[in-house]
Amino acid sequence: MADIAQQTPGGQVPSNTIDEAKRQRLLELVRGRAMARPTDLAEDEVMVWPSLVVVEAVAATVFLLILVVLSVLVNAPLTDHANPNQTPNPSKAPWYFLNLQELLLHMNAGIAGVVIPSIALLAIAAIPYFDRSPLGVGILGTSAKGRRIIGFTIVFVGLLLAIMIYADEQTGRTQFGVGAWMRNQFDAPEIVYNQLLPLLMVAILIGIFVAIVRGIFRPTRRELIIALFTAFVVSYVVLTVSGTSFRGPGQNLTWPWNLPLVRH
Amino acid sequence: MRREQTLADKISGSALWRSFVRHGYPDTQRNQALIIASNIFLHIHPVKIKRYATKVTYTFCLGGLSFFMFLVLVGTGVLLMFYYIPSSDLAYQSMKDIESSVTFGQLMRNMHRWSAQGMVIAVFLHMCRVFYTGSYKPPREFNWVVGVLLLVVTFLLSFTGYLLPWDQLALWAVTVGTEIGGATPLIGSQVNMILRGDFEIGQSALIRFYTLHVLFLPLVAATLMAVHFWRIRKDGGISGPL
Ligand code: HEM
Repeated sequence: MADIAQQTPGGQVPSNTIDEAKRQRLLELVRGRAMARPTDLAEDEVMVWPSLVVVEAVAATVFLLILVVLSVLVNAPLTDHANPNQTPNPSKAPWYFLNLQELLLHMNAGIAGVVIPSIALLAIAAIPYFDRSPLGVGILGTSAKGRRIIGFTIVFVGLLLAIMIYADEQTGRTQFGVGAWMRNQFDAPEIVYNQLLPLLMVAILIGIFVAIVRGIFRPTRRELIIALFTAFVVSYVVLTVSGTSFRGPGQNLTWPWNLPLVRH
Repeated sequence: MRREQTLADKISGSALWRSFVRHGYPDTQRNQALIIASNIFLHIHPVKIKRYATKVTYTFCLGGLSFFMFLVLVGTGVLLMFYYIPSSDLAYQSMKDIESSVTFGQLMRNMHRWSAQGMVIAVFLHMCRVFYTGSYKPPREFNWVVGVLLLVVTFLLSFTGYLLPWDQLALWAVTVGTEIGGATPLIGSQVNMILRGDFEIGQSALIRFYTLHVLFLPLVAATLMAVHFWRIRKDGGISGPL
């Protein structure tokens, strides 16, 4: 038993073929664990069964209960049979696209509905390739400063967007009158006042926002990206709320309680 | 001293039971490890996990709930498919039938509708949770990109489903939606034609949306989710403080 044969990768070698010169002698047997067994728990670890599986089961059950109760109480809408000859006023996209529909009241539909969302999605997908430092992983908002930046962005971007939506409405949705002025004074083509101009305005606004955040907070790269991502989320929410709850017939600004009843 | 054999012991010791469950009741660490490792549905999980990863206030269960809503949607969706007819002449009437004469039809439709909207919200919030905890940072950058694709697919699933009831809400919401697609610079009219299959929204648009909604997009979503979950494991489990 004390001898072990050097094994070839193929498995057990018949003992009569062993080269005597390569025989090795086992010196000592040590009691102990060769490998960590799957059930060895480190201090900061728990078993998935039950610790995680229970959380999942409870979450799924609670959600399912809420869903069933909601579905018993509230029926999904079914309006009249589709009729291409009868356009409802306002006609609205599903609510999660109403942010885009709101945006396209203020500029060319291709810019608002395709170009800007595509750029936004690409920018979001690219975040991890710009912010590679592992600092702050696992901490909500990364740092106290990060959380202050989130608060500032919510208030600042939220107010700014609300004011902009109102101001553009008051000037007849002509890029705050600038678009109308370009059209009337210089006979500018659509691509200039309705496409390039709004894109430029969005770019300048983002630039100003970044400058303000830099000036106030001296952010790290991660904190600056927090500001930009939060600005995206706030824009998404504000535009959605405006599109769902404040746009009545003719897509004019209306108080929610004056909206015609169209359920989504 | 041996404790008394209960009925449960007899069942779980029987040859039949043992043929599909190969371990004892998971009240020992060994069996708790075995149940995770030997069950195809549970083996999506590791056997053990960092304690912080089980904290509800870290993930808020949002990724898991997104997945669960997807499962609910598949379940209720298949049931609806038994009755729904993707024809512009019959679709609306089949919706009416589902609501009034199919047993639990209204409930299935409601659950499908509300969890579809819930899933859009949950996936969006899940993205926010992942972002604000910095969980996209290396080595998880690729999984973040997979996530963005999942977000897009979730939107598309919801949007293609919106047309199927073939009521005024459906027709005009999709009219607005496809008009936005049709405004794409340079290739707008092609995009519009691909979506609608016709100049206006009719039978060809309905069958396109239907096929995308019940077959193509769910397959894409399921595949991306498989990649997403696989990558969570390969990236060392869910992120946590250093
Ligand atoms: C159908 C959509 C989705 C499903 C079903 C899903 C599911 C999950 C699940 C179950 C987890 C485990 C941790 C948790 O629950 O938070 C997770 C983690 C993760 N998800 Fe998603 N997800 C989806 C969409 C997204 C999106 C839109 C993003 C980002 C844009 C994303 C990025 C990530 C990343 C980076 C992780 C790892 C997080 C960490 O390590 O803490 N996922 N996902």
